[in-house]
Amino acid sequence: MAYTRKNVAKLTREERRRFVDALLEIKRRGEYDEFVRTHIQYFTTDGESGLRTAHMAPSFLPWHRRFLLDLERALRRVDSSVTIPYWDWTRDRTTTSVPWREDLLGGNGRRADRQVTTGPFAYAHGHWTLRVGVTDGKFLTRDLGRSRDPIALPTGSELERALEDPLYDLAPWDSTVSKGFRNKLEGWGSGRGSSSWHNHNRVHRWVGGTMLGAASVNDPVFWLHHAFLDLQWTRWQRRHRGARYLPARPPGPGDPQYGRIVARHEKLPPWDVTPDELEDVSRIYRYV
Amino acid sequence: MGVGNGGDGAAGAIPGPPPSSLSSPSSPSRRTRREVTLGLLASGVALAAAPLVAASRPPRPASDPFGAPGGTAAFQETYRGRLIRGAWTPGTGPAGTGQWQVTVDGRPLHLMRRADGTWLSMVDHYQSYPTPLEAARGAVDDMVPGQGLRDVAPGPVGDADRHAHPYSHTQGVPGGVHA
Repeated sequence: MAYTRKNVAKLTREERRRFVDALLEIKRRGEYDEFVRTHIQYFTTDGESGLRTAHMAPSFLPWHRRFLLDLERALRRVDSSVTIPYWDWTRDRTTTSVPWREDLLGGNGRRADRQVTTGPFAYAHGHWTLRVGVTDGKFLTRDLGRSRDPIALPTGSELERALEDPLYDLAPWDSTVSKGFRNKLEGWGSGRGSSSWHNHNRVHRWVGGTMLGAASVNDPVFWLHHAFLDLQWTRWQRRHRGARYLPARPPGPGDPQYGRIVARHEKLPPWDVTPDELEDVSRIYRYV
Repeated sequence: MGVGNGGDGAAGAIPGPPPSSLSSPSSPSRRTRREVTLGLLASGVALAAAPLVAASRPPRPASDPFGAPGGTAAFQETYRGRLIRGAWTPGTGPAGTGQWQVTVDGRPLHLMRRADGTWLSMVDHYQSYPTPLEAARGAVDDMVPGQGLRDVAPGPVGDADRHAHPYSHTQGVPGGVHA
């Protein structure tokens, strides 16, 4: 029986408490930090060599779909009523909106050092020490809106620009493609400043602090953000009936992307699952 | 095969004054506290002596497989109170690939290349910069005062035997991911 993932703005107080408590519990158990490590390990780029799975590649969406499922399963082992909520940043767009509330993710980082000092994930409250990180910092940081040079969250129109593209992805299947749903959603652009990152990438930039780097998973907003992106994949499929994950077949030995991306029926490291198997998860969960 | 063989730091550091000629996504006001101390890295770096070049030198295209910067292959400056150093070392691999070694306050900052020739650092994973120096400054911009870098880099991804790839290493600081 499929369970539901809800808009974080619509959670009851009880649901918020249970979600937060389950996160704190898996952090306490040491499971949470494994997710941080995995994300660091799997962020490889298209200007280096080797396989790309989690980013700058067609498998950006199925990789994160499976990654979220793993986290959700860990949460549900603690409390089987918990599911990952999604943050609709086209609607909840300010530094004091949901989810930046005391009983959810806590608020912005303070000016001096961007340290989050409110909510369950504030270092000072003792339950969320960063153990895996890019720096030796122990506290979660945020800089909502990038205070030194303000930017806004992506808009509904920016998201729509991705959703209306009927093609999932296209060669060279990396961060340079200007067409296709995947990179329009992942958000790699060219050039400088505001125009060079969209949707997914822009949100990481907007939150700032810990969410900016390889250890972004240290901020639990990571899950709410990626749940919303995962929802966009479902919306895209409904809008473009029959449109499938691409590439269907792996690039051949003469192709620069040979061995560098995962095709529809290939296994997606670190798991044994294929993108094909992750395209339809309606028997597991649905978004409301 | 593969786009941008691992570690061929071809973007070319753009050193030294005048700051205004350095391309950067940041606004001019961010530069006001920066002190630029330029020096060539001396021994310990396996480089032939390379002349300094004008700050307006354009970045090298990503398609250059050898990545020899031609001009300056090192930079050093104090930026927002942190010492940034970078050196490009030629490689010993079959294609002569090399890599950039960049440190902030003596600790390694792992950089990665995008297919368009720009650079990401571990501190800022969701936007890229034209040069390793600017990526290092961007990292410093987003580091908390008083905190230092950890030696962290992505690990090998997937099955090593899968689609045997001629350049199967990734540029990185040895040691992989540390807690």
